[in-house]
Amino acid sequence: MGLYLNSPWYLLLLPLILLPFITTAFEKRPTAWTALIPLNSLSIWLQRLIRFLGCLAFLAIIIGLADLSIRYRTISKTGNGAHIVFVLDRSASMNETFGGRSPSKDEQSKAHAARGLLSRFVDKRPHDLFAVVGFSTQPFYTIPLTESKPAIQAAINSLDTQGLAFTNVAKGLAMGLSYFKDQAHTGSRVVILVSDGAATLDHRAQKTLRDWFERYQVSLYWFFLRTENGLSISSTPDSSTDDNPRVMPERYLDKFFTSLKIPYQSYEIDTSDSLQAAIEQVDKLENSPLQYQQKTPNYSLANYCYLLAFLALLLLILVKLFEAKHDD
Amino acid sequence: MNRLNLLIGSACLLLISIFIPTIKMASTSYDFVFIVDITRSMNTQDYTDNNGGAISRLDKVKQDMISAIQTLPCGSRVGLGLFTERSSALLFSPIEVCSNYSILEDSIQHIDWRMAWVADSNIGRGLYNILKQLKKDFLLSSKLVFFTDGHESPPVNARYQADFADLTTEKLPASWRAGLIVGVGNKALSRIPKYDQDGHQTGFYQVDDVPHASSFGLPEDPSKIKGYIPRNGPWGTEKIVGTEHMSSLREEYLMNLAKAASLNYHRLTDKQLFSEALQTPAFTQSQQRDTSISWLPACLALLLLSYFYLIPIIGRITMLNKDN
Repeated sequence: MGLYLNSPWYLLLLPLILLPFITTAFEKRPTAWTALIPLNSLSIWLQRLIRFLGCLAFLAIIIGLADLSIRYRTISKTGNGAHIVFVLDRSASMNETFGGRSPSKDEQSKAHAARGLLSRFVDKRPHDLFAVVGFSTQPFYTIPLTESKPAIQAAINSLDTQGLAFTNVAKGLAMGLSYFKDQAHTGSRVVILVSDGAATLDHRAQKTLRDWFERYQVSLYWFFLRTENGLSISSTPDSSTDDNPRVMPERYLDKFFTSLKIPYQSYEIDTSDSLQAAIEQVDKLENSPLQYQQKTPNYSLANYCYLLAFLALLLLILVKLFEAKHDD
Repeated sequence: MNRLNLLIGSACLLLISIFIPTIKMASTSYDFVFIVDITRSMNTQDYTDNNGGAISRLDKVKQDMISAIQTLPCGSRVGLGLFTERSSALLFSPIEVCSNYSILEDSIQHIDWRMAWVADSNIGRGLYNILKQLKKDFLLSSKLVFFTDGHESPPVNARYQADFADLTTEKLPASWRAGLIVGVGNKALSRIPKYDQDGHQTGFYQVDDVPHASSFGLPEDPSKIKGYIPRNGPWGTEKIVGTEHMSSLREEYLMNLAKAASLNYHRLTDKQLFSEALQTPAFTQSQQRDTSISWLPACLALLLLSYFYLIPIIGRITMLNKDN
């Protein structure tokens, strides 16, 4: 816990706390003969206490003005949730509708639909940590694992901008998995691949992905935004000559994912409703205990300072009320 | 005034300090989208760091972006995107700089030329597309900050450039600015490092590695082209050798683009100057922020309390004056 002053320049007023020691809170009263009122230890202590109260009032107001605050802290809490990395396809075809056309006025593109639903998904899971990776032909590091929801929403917004080039799933996934490298293993680890197509994986990529998925114990969800009449994950080849990764990349990517020793689920999404259903299912499955960090915001103690000064003044007022009055 | 009343007044003012609600006050903030050119020429090492070592244009941009973010007032927002080819990839829309500082820093640190999804670059078209993207609902209030060295590859044909007049539909005041182009690099030619797939430098770009003149579309004035043959050699039949394998800051080009698209231009040298170029009135936005005014009654309370204790001293001084 760290204390700090927001406006330290008010400390220049600190010499004021000496005032109660140089002067007195009481009125001068002429006494016939001082020897009649001998000093006793009780009155000496009362005098000191009263001066101290004045001093405390000054000090508390000045510290309050300087805005004494507690610096933010991160507290470790346990809840239910997951570390979720979104691996988002940014290829140009994401800007088309589920029907494979450029969206007209009242249609929405795949990217736009995905943006809206992922954004709601993030809102619904308060304790999860999220991260975002984008990819087209190359992956781009977007947002590290974070609890900052505005940052994640901002990254999801990026889906709804101009699409780029082609789809290279392997590189995107590899970057997504690399986010778990230095993370303590707590809660469930999830990679959600959102793409509208697949690509062939070469041997090197397959080996790396297999290694990493198993080492980091990550479960994989593939939200496949299928274009109407396009190839689906479950399409079977018409002839054996078509049964290869070049002709049917979706089928082979799915086969590869199934062969991994990790929980894997694919969802074929060809309307916005089915995306909604898939998200709800993930929502149910990924809820293991999770240690998460919560940041407490900076907290100003100024009001407590003012309250302390107020109490000191209240006592002074009481003392003052009992002060012997002049016999005018 | 009765001294007791002074104490009571002071105590009341303290109570007010505690319970006074915050009020809305206007404060200035900024909202930027930083778009960084990550094409190969940005790897050119023509900046020096604090220790006198050479650093690349991209590294310089990354450093100065981070320090500029540090100087922005809280409540300002910054988004990030990459540029290559003729479009930009937005990484995230603007986020508040103080609460998300570590995320911004981390994302900026991770920008790498290998994120480029294709390798060529056409800055005029790119700028046009970026400005068009800024019309999205979540980018509407943002100003563009585009970091580039102006080096295009292959060289572009000036006939097919974007017309920025298409972008502005409504009448805007002459002082309105869509943002800032930040010219990155040195005006002297430097060699461009060449890297392999894994990021190891394998040398520098050589004369034969790159095209030195545009060969796209039709030339504007065929009579100026040596060896012009309308069908078989619209761009001439002679081999053209230039300095396109080396890179320098194309400042005039960028200034002209800036002018055409209502942008400011700033050349990246010192990070302090860059911060100033960002925080100009043209980019200022005013924002309503909750502001605490509890200091006001607290100060008055302090004043009354001081007066309470000063009364005996003042009394003594006036007595002394009377005696004289």
